[in-house]
Amino acid sequence: MNRRSFIKKFTMTMGVISFGLLPFVMGRLLRPKLKASESNRIPLPGALANKQDFEQACIGCGLCGEVCPPRCIQFYKHEGGLVADTPYIDPVQKSCILCGLCMEICPTNALTVTNVREVKMGIAQIDRAACYPWVDAGICGACVSICPIGSGAIDFEFGNFYRPIVKDKCVGCGQCVEVCPEPSLPINIVAPSKGTVAQHGVGIRKVERGQRGF
Amino acid sequence: MNNKLLTSKYLRHLNKLRWFSLSFIFIMLIILPFIHLYQTYEAAHAYDLLTPTEKMISDTVERLTSSFVKEPEELSAIKGNTWSGSLFGLKLSDPLAVLGQVAASQSLYWPFIITALIPLIFTLLLGRIYCGWICPATLIYELNDNLAAWLRKAGLPVSRRKLDRRIKYVVLAVGILLSIFFGAVMFGSIYPPAIIGREIYYAIALGGFGAGAVFFLLTLLFDLMVTRRGFCRYVCPGGALYSLLGRYRLIRIKRNVETCNDCAKCNVACQFGLDPLNDNFGMECNNCTACIAVCPTDALKFTVNVHDITYQGPGHLGHKYRNEKN
Repeated sequence: MNRRSFIKKFTMTMGVISFGLLPFVMGRLLRPKLKASESNRIPLPGALANKQDFEQACIGCGLCGEVCPPRCIQFYKHEGGLVADTPYIDPVQKSCILCGLCMEICPTNALTVTNVREVKMGIAQIDRAACYPWVDAGICGACVSICPIGSGAIDFEFGNFYRPIVKDKCVGCGQCVEVCPEPSLPINIVAPSKGTVAQHGVGIRKVERGQRGF
Repeated sequence: MNNKLLTSKYLRHLNKLRWFSLSFIFIMLIILPFIHLYQTYEAAHAYDLLTPTEKMISDTVERLTSSFVKEPEELSAIKGNTWSGSLFGLKLSDPLAVLGQVAASQSLYWPFIITALIPLIFTLLLGRIYCGWICPATLIYELNDNLAAWLRKAGLPVSRRKLDRRIKYVVLAVGILLSIFFGAVMFGSIYPPAIIGREIYYAIALGGFGAGAVFFLLTLLFDLMVTRRGFCRYVCPGGALYSLLGRYRLIRIKRNVETCNDCAKCNVACQFGLDPLNDNFGMECNNCTACIAVCPTDALKFTVNVHDITYQGPGHLGHKYRNEKN
């Protein structure tokens, strides 16, 4: 093989490969990552614990959304890359009712059938500076009365009928977040490692900033 | 297999049946999100709180479905789209979805792989049957091709250049490699039937198209401006997979030389740019039966044959054959 035919063949091969790459590049470019806040987006019930495993297993068919009775399952519609068309739940808009239909319908192992009490979507975290009963600014108890798990997950503080505290049985379905009437947004679903009581102070913020990497 | 069935003169009506199948599946993809909306309204017991539009949707779906089912929950029997769906408890998935998921997760999850078994068997027997008879994108692409024909008639330049059809196998290979490398099913965002199934659901139930819709419009433009049915023929990774699986398909179209008159209508009708006149169907034929429907002498029939049919010479009713004989 002389040099000219080698260069010709090489160019042809590279051209064909780049043409094959083209649709994937187009698909990726059409889906720029939105800079929207993802802080209140939580995984589905029964989802694989590791987010990376979930992205590997999910084929983006949308069946989970199509069976969801409260229509709480949303999809990454405009985000590119690995999360394209994978589902999430935003409990501020609409929360999971733990009916388990999405786990049953999922064709892959992205969602596996899990007992309601063993679901781990996150954990509720209460900001005691923003919750009205905690600052003696009113009486409420909405989160405690809506909780589908019961007193094992969220209950009133001992000796007080209105101050809610989150316990270890919380599965993170987010119904308390949806029902919370207070505009100060005192309750959120967070990763279990972050704890059930929101921490305040300069030091904490520094740590969080460090985790985000800037 | 009944040979009479494969060579019946009624085969030319199969194309109408195919159009019915394509339209039925597309209409189902539109109805299913509305059924889901209706189910969510019923589940919430919130008819009085609905807006007038939502009330209209609820009433219409109820009227349409009340003769089939008693409870709205029973409507869950049919869910999903052609990428992956559930049909009366039977879960079906696209073989490309399974291939992509196995590549991405690098593990075999058998309950999911089994869902692709029935489509796989049909593909092994009938070739790219999915592309011609089921794919919701095919309906739009064929309508787009008719539009191209009209534009051509109106005098607008519609390009019909030829590319290398092996490009789609490169797309398939690149997709598998990207899935392995990034750890996500990359086919889902460029595979038109998956995009359509999803985007219709997004548009109806979740209030707005996603980014996939733009990609699909671009493929329509590609078909219109660059090459006829270009995405299916040259780019689609699913088409590549089915072509490979259907390489030794059992049932294929065969030209009957005795009744062929070399009119070449089949070559014009074939949107995949294949060459039925010269017995050159190859791997890409999707058994869409469009050539059977246009054949004026009913010379094209089905046959049971594992191998490609070699060129049989010019049709016996044509000029070329008579000239050769004299």
